[in-house]
Amino acid sequence: MTAQTTMLDRGKAWLEERRLTAVDIPLWFIGMGIAILWALPFVWMVSTSFKYPEDVMTVDIEWLPHRVTVANYLKVFEYPVVRWGINSLIQASVSTALCVLAGAMAGYALARMRFPGRGLIFGIFLASLMIPTEVSVIPMLLGIIKIGWASTYQALILPTVGNVFSVYIFRQFFLTFPAELEEAARMDGAGHFRLFWLIALPLARAPTIAASVIIFTLNWNNFLWPLLVTFDESMKTLPVGIAAFTPVVGTHTQLEGYSVAMAGVTVLSLPSLLLFAVLQRYFIQGISQGSLKQ
Amino acid sequence: MAAGMPHLSMARANAGRPSAGSAGGESAPTDWMGYLFVGLFALPFFLFNILPVLFGAYVAFTKWSIIGKPKWIGLANFEAAFADHWVAVAFHNVLLYGAIVVPGVTVLGLSFALFVNQRYPLAALARTLFFAPNVVSATVIGLVWVWLLDTQYGLVNHYVGLLGLGPVPWLTSTDWSLIGVSLASIWWDLGLVFVLFLAALQDIPRDITEAAMVDGADRVRRFWFVILPHLRPVISMVVTLQLISTLRIFSQVYVMTNGGPAGSSSSPIYYIYNTAIVRSLFGYASAIGMMLFAVILVVTLLQRFAIRERA
Repeated sequence: MTAQTTMLDRGKAWLEERRLTAVDIPLWFIGMGIAILWALPFVWMVSTSFKYPEDVMTVDIEWLPHRVTVANYLKVFEYPVVRWGINSLIQASVSTALCVLAGAMAGYALARMRFPGRGLIFGIFLASLMIPTEVSVIPMLLGIIKIGWASTYQALILPTVGNVFSVYIFRQFFLTFPAELEEAARMDGAGHFRLFWLIALPLARAPTIAASVIIFTLNWNNFLWPLLVTFDESMKTLPVGIAAFTPVVGTHTQLEGYSVAMAGVTVLSLPSLLLFAVLQRYFIQGISQGSLKQ
Repeated sequence: MAAGMPHLSMARANAGRPSAGSAGGESAPTDWMGYLFVGLFALPFFLFNILPVLFGAYVAFTKWSIIGKPKWIGLANFEAAFADHWVAVAFHNVLLYGAIVVPGVTVLGLSFALFVNQRYPLAALARTLFFAPNVVSATVIGLVWVWLLDTQYGLVNHYVGLLGLGPVPWLTSTDWSLIGVSLASIWWDLGLVFVLFLAALQDIPRDITEAAMVDGADRVRRFWFVILPHLRPVISMVVTLQLISTLRIFSQVYVMTNGGPAGSSSSPIYYIYNTAIVRSLFGYASAIGMMLFAVILVVTLLQRFAIRERA
């Protein structure tokens, strides 16, 4: 009896310490339940990917497969998945590196250097965000085909470099950059280029990581442009290649379709989910900074 | 990410600030190097973000396929588009997508953000789970949901069946396909909206909500009279962003249904893709693209005016 009361008291004290009331307990259970529900499609994806094809299309729902196989993954690699993965990696990393470097330089100049038309240039960058890329993608494709760049790396990479997000996040950062540092460096006779390269950029660790992870993920997941510009099977990127794993009757047998398809998308989602799990803070900070901190 | 960062468009407040953050005094000399610094970004930006739009505006007035030369045909593409039944279907569908996805994402995103903002135990885990679908590609979203929504063996219909309801032909019937694609889109897009709401909630000064608590305002009142007024600009921004991103819906449609059955889940971008790639009508596709651009521009400008009015 006394033990029970102390338990209850301790529970009450615990809640009070956190400014919680009894209502918070069911709320917590509902909220966490929905959070887990929200992740279940991923669980189902991974679970299906390890099942034998004949265990997949059944009316029984097996969250944990009673027998497990990696055959689906082996089957995925019968397609040129490695090649697609290399294409994706080249496309996403080169494009991200160029975009972050160019964005850092432009952001630095727009925040710290004085030259006529500076405000106008930044205004144009921001106004361009009203143009949906999907709208300019068809004329761009026409142009790329005409100059003979279809199914090339430069066609995959260059059109994705001009992402204004990068300029914006660096400009915001460099606006708050202490002027004293700059002045000290000037006294030593350092020009803007050395100032940027040796002092400003090394100090801009947080925006560099945030811009890199967000833009890399965007590039890694990019769908429409790589779909349009790669006519060659060997130049496809991973999302475009694996999209063809949909078990429409006629491409795969209906029976084995979903297990192989789920193995394919597990492979595809692993890099971005891992990157997110490790660098979550930067994802979330970068995104909220990009929109709210005006 | 699903929305491709269009939310930046709302951040224009800084655009015209003349001398923010400049190091030197008024007499500082012009930094000509600045043009070089900006140029490295401005060059690809101009070539691949601006030029294609100008080029597209020209192409829209021509008849042009991959082979052969463009032929100037004036407004004929636009006239054809207004008479095209499938253009009407695509634009009609995109309004339906908007009517389902925008409220879905906004209401759920706000609820999830309110929950995570309570700083309950394991709140960080919940935050991770809510945001995670946003970081995977359309291919993942599409294939996983095609499987989840499979009419015969899909997980969703299994649990719908346990409720005693018949199997729903989520992606295979003209009545349901748009709803099926919308479910996947809500799951995909929610993360971004959720994070924006969460950041806005964390920006509300603690003492304001605590003062309301001391005054004896209960949860519902605190939300209604203290939190919601603070969130109004963010809600307006989120609704606009999500509306624009839904107007551009393509990849999940392409992966999940190919716009079908019978065009019932098609969208403007899907139709543009089909017109250009399958039918090789680049001029016509560009014209429909310009029409979509006009719609998106109107939505953006309306939101800007709405914000300015209030300020």
